[in-house]
Amino acid sequence: MTGSGIPLPEGAQVSAPIEATGTWRQRLIGVRADSTFFIGLIGLLLVSGLILTAVLAPLLAPYDPTERVGLPFMPPSAAHPLGTNDIGQDLASELIYGTRVSLTVGIVAAAVAMVIGTAVGVLAGFYPRLVGSLLMRFVDVLLIIPFLPLLIILAAYLGRSLFNTILIIGILIWAGTARVIRSQVLSLAHRDYVTAARALGASDARIISRHILPRVLLLGISQFVQATSGAILLEASLSFLGLGDPLQKSWGSILYWAQVRGAFLTDAWLWWVVPPGLMIGAAALGFALMGFALEHRINPQLQATR
Amino acid sequence: MRSQGQGSKLFQYALVLFIAITLNFILPRLMPGNPLALLAGADVGLLTPEQRAAVVERSGLDQPMLSQYASYLGDLARGDLGYSFRQNRPIVDMIVERLPWTLLLAGSSLLFSAVAGIALGALSAWRRGRASDVGMLGTMIALDSLPSFWLGMLFVSLFAVQLGVLPSSGAITAASSLGGIDQLIDIARHATLPVVTLSLLSIPGVYLTMRYSMLSILGEDFIRTARSKGVNERGVLFRHVVRNALAPVVTVLALRLGFAFGGTVVIETVFSYPGLGRLVFEAVSGRDYPVMQATFLVLTVAVLLSNLLADFLYPRLDPRARTA
Amino acid sequence: MVHRPSVRRLALAAGVISSLAWLAACGQSGAAPTTSPGVPAGSGPAGSGPAASGSADPGSAGAVDQIRAGIIGDESTLTPYTYVTGFPGWNLLMLQYDSLLQFDVNGEVQPWLASEYAVSDDGLTYTVDLVSDVTWSDGEPLTPDDVRFTIDYFLANTHSRFTTNLASVSEVEVTGDSQVTITLEDPNPAFAVGALADIPIIPQHVWEAVDNPDEATFEGLTNVGTGPYQLVEYTPDQSYRFEANPDYFRGVPQADELILVQYADEAGLVAALRTDAIDVTFRTISPEQVRALESVEGVEVAQGPEFSTQMLYYDVTKPPFDQLPVRQAISLAIDRQDLLDTVFLGAATLGNAGWTHPDSPAFNDAVETRTDVDEANAILDEASITDSDGDGIREFDGQPLSPELLAPSDNPLRLRMAELIKEMLLQVGFDVTVTSLERETLVNQVWPDFDVANGRDYEMSMFGWSAPVQVDPSEITSLLHSDPAIGSINISGFADAEADEIADQLRVEQDEATRQELLDQLQVITAERLPFVMLLYGDGAYGYRSDVYADWTFITGQGIVTKLSLLAADARP
Repeated sequence: MTGSGIPLPEGAQVSAPIEATGTWRQRLIGVRADSTFFIGLIGLLLVSGLILTAVLAPLLAPYDPTERVGLPFMPPSAAHPLGTNDIGQDLASELIYGTRVSLTVGIVAAAVAMVIGTAVGVLAGFYPRLVGSLLMRFVDVLLIIPFLPLLIILAAYLGRSLFNTILIIGILIWAGTARVIRSQVLSLAHRDYVTAARALGASDARIISRHILPRVLLLGISQFVQATSGAILLEASLSFLGLGDPLQKSWGSILYWAQVRGAFLTDAWLWWVVPPGLMIGAAALGFALMGFALEHRINPQLQATR
Repeated sequence: MRSQGQGSKLFQYALVLFIAITLNFILPRLMPGNPLALLAGADVGLLTPEQRAAVVERSGLDQPMLSQYASYLGDLARGDLGYSFRQNRPIVDMIVERLPWTLLLAGSSLLFSAVAGIALGALSAWRRGRASDVGMLGTMIALDSLPSFWLGMLFVSLFAVQLGVLPSSGAITAASSLGGIDQLIDIARHATLPVVTLSLLSIPGVYLTMRYSMLSILGEDFIRTARSKGVNERGVLFRHVVRNALAPVVTVLALRLGFAFGGTVVIETVFSYPGLGRLVFEAVSGRDYPVMQATFLVLTVAVLLSNLLADFLYPRLDPRARTA
Repeated sequence: MVHRPSVRRLALAAGVISSLAWLAACGQSGAAPTTSPGVPAGSGPAGSGPAASGSADPGSAGAVDQIRAGIIGDESTLTPYTYVTGFPGWNLLMLQYDSLLQFDVNGEVQPWLASEYAVSDDGLTYTVDLVSDVTWSDGEPLTPDDVRFTIDYFLANTHSRFTTNLASVSEVEVTGDSQVTITLEDPNPAFAVGALADIPIIPQHVWEAVDNPDEATFEGLTNVGTGPYQLVEYTPDQSYRFEANPDYFRGVPQADELILVQYADEAGLVAALRTDAIDVTFRTISPEQVRALESVEGVEVAQGPEFSTQMLYYDVTKPPFDQLPVRQAISLAIDRQDLLDTVFLGAATLGNAGWTHPDSPAFNDAVETRTDVDEANAILDEASITDSDGDGIREFDGQPLSPELLAPSDNPLRLRMAELIKEMLLQVGFDVTVTSLERETLVNQVWPDFDVANGRDYEMSMFGWSAPVQVDPSEITSLLHSDPAIGSINISGFADAEADEIADQLRVEQDEATRQELLDQLQVITAERLPFVMLLYGDGAYGYRSDVYADWTFITGQGIVTKLSLLAADARP
């Protein structure tokens, strides 16, 4: 699930099917192939569009977003399609450049989470007794700590910068990935090829790198894409609560200024509040759709590799 | 892992609880800045250094960490959650006051989202592949992608400010002496927007879980067979599958309950709703140590309990999960 | 297969939780948590619908049944020891109590509970005569013993800001049926403003039994006072209800009932005013809201100069800020008018480099505050602080001028000003990095443990002092003096022998004319030697519904939250 990110107790597998039997068609869970593909395609288009916007920002944006180019609180006009913010900076330009910041934070944070989560998950699944037990207990504790105060501590300690925002989000969301990867590794570790490799005297590292990692890679990627969706939403929430860097031009911070300067109490809500929210939604949606499609692709493949 | 048995499981949770309690103690104290402003109340800068020292001493903040920790554990054992520096009253009172409001929001939205999510998820899975399924799926994923505070802000803009039909903040009309039905209506009016916002954002999670769960039971042949049977039999089959599919959903809902306690922070802030979530944020911002600790604890216990509940329910509902 | 029961169980559980929550919520709001016995509950019409809740009573001109005011944040039980903020906490406190002297609309002190008072020539003795026939809200008469008790009590129980104001008192005794004599250890010319007009008189017969004032909550939460309003109901974090004291010695208060509603933030407050959930805001609203509110039908905004300050601080003990040319250049480079127009949208007064507010009687109009970027650049060039590598940033001592400017993350206006200041200082060759910090963290770096003797840990910072520091002009000494005991809010580490000398003189000088001269000199020194940079004084702006109550009075520098607003026009001094 995208924004939900709810961890499940051990043994509960929702996104991957429990041992299903029967024909491969019965194992094809979900919508018919072309529909899944279609959904994934929409996601890809959305994400590509946004990435393109981010890359081409200087060309697309009418102004430099840090420049004061008008009077404060101006409504939309020919010169400023989305009006100006509270100190006279062009909102449309802020929105376009905001794509860079929000996407970067989302992708990098999710990447951090995926790397940590995969590493922990693989280790925990491959050495389920001592190492795995310890690691998963750590995961449990992490998931239990109320995350908002943790966020505030980290923000206060580390300072409010983009790098720190990425770090904080990455630290928060890897636990879910770890659990999913671990589940998968647990079942993979008992497969025939692993047993065979061990019998032939292969080292653990070799087994992991040759047999386990490649097979969890796809799952990892799917998790990464889904995590990006969540990370984008988290960054927006962080910024909105005033825990991000208010001087960065991300979509979340645009909404932060909209809220503290009372935009949603006036007509300005239409051009100041709605667009950034839609952008956040579009980005989160794009990644979520891609992740959804990927997952449906992976499941039958995992079944096939027996 | 499951073969470890109940005792070991409980031990693990107890360990987590203990770690959480200790972390709850340490974390607030690690934060920079100090709560002197809270302790001294108004115009702390105008107090003399001696006065400030007296305040610190009275509140025990100058004791060594270990001594503070010992008192903390002792108080907890006695069920004493401490005293708020800011409001000068027992924290238990504060939590008891605010808890119902959060429960109201969380419980109501859980209820609505559960009903809607389960129903829609089941129907969607049953009609798998059809336009209605794909459409619903897309809508749900889209809904799940919207930022919660944004939705809340929009609702306030639309319904409270522009249209003026619902109140923009608070749980009740202040200091009014409404009784009976009027009071219920007042509470309902104030709770409408927060609950709607929360529900809308919770439905997708339940929906997706339910849909997946149903689909993992259904195979194509099963569906084809079911459809070839008569209407009554189809209905029976439907209900049968739904019952079987509920296990993970119940698990997810049980977990949601735990997180709901802390997760309403943003909504309660946007709507100025006097619940636990807002209390947490205020306490953290103002470094009100005792309130922070107490609310952390309540949240932690809630999450642990719901984890326990989920662990308890799941194997009873889904026999397959018993064999790990 | 025990599936069906689990579904039902879950639904039941959710339903039970919700119902319990509803019941509990009803219990919260319905039963008044603590109402004093014998007080009639809930006078006035209730409801938050579009229809205005306060109605003008045609009988007495201007009298209103109920006024609902909005505040942000909780003020606890509003006793002299538990109120939380300087503003509006103290103001709300003073609706329940009276002081010996009272500020009038012009911000000057007039006799209040004191019918008159006299100061001895040496400035050490204050003889105060009390107004007769004043009663406490529980019916007991006000006596001089209450005044004596009040002063002794605040001196003995030191966790209040009133203790500091009374620090110079050595003795107080009752010298007549309605007379009290207060003797000071050292002459304190600010005693009238700082103490007599500030301190609430508390009843001896109630407080003599209170050993732990911080924790004492009174039965029924009725804070017994002589003031025009009495607190009768308090729902923590939600609301307060005051009832008018019909026997108030200065006349019947204009509203029978005053309700305070708490909001989490300004957005909620303003939304409430717009949607007619409250009739007035007891917190100043931001400049952008002022414009928006003025266009709402039935809502008006009372605006006027207030004394809260917006300032730019630096650590004067660290390079490059220990160089006077650098400080001068900074002050000249900042376009205060631009800050006023862009960030404050006109709702502010330009800062005076000499600290004192232009509307204050102590203002020295000989002090100039200018903006001149060319001059700033020239000064830096002359001081050999130049840009040697052509990157647009000057170097000092081989290091580029790239200070860090701290700004509080919870103060959007200061954040925005910081952004603009960064722009402005770039024009004179500074490469400023703005860092947003949580308020607590920032204060801890700028003013560690609220004690200037601890030094400081910052380069530049946005900051400001609240109104009381401006209200008493002689507080300028606290900002400048190098001795931490006297310069208790000198957070830039400024140390200037001449300033110290003048400040020392000021502290003991009795003669009004001489005092003003000394204050003038201090202002000149401040403007020339720049222990800080004054930016702006924010205006106070309070929204209110004119059809409910429109007689709010704006005390210069203090706003509308004062008992004067709620008295009949002719009862106001």
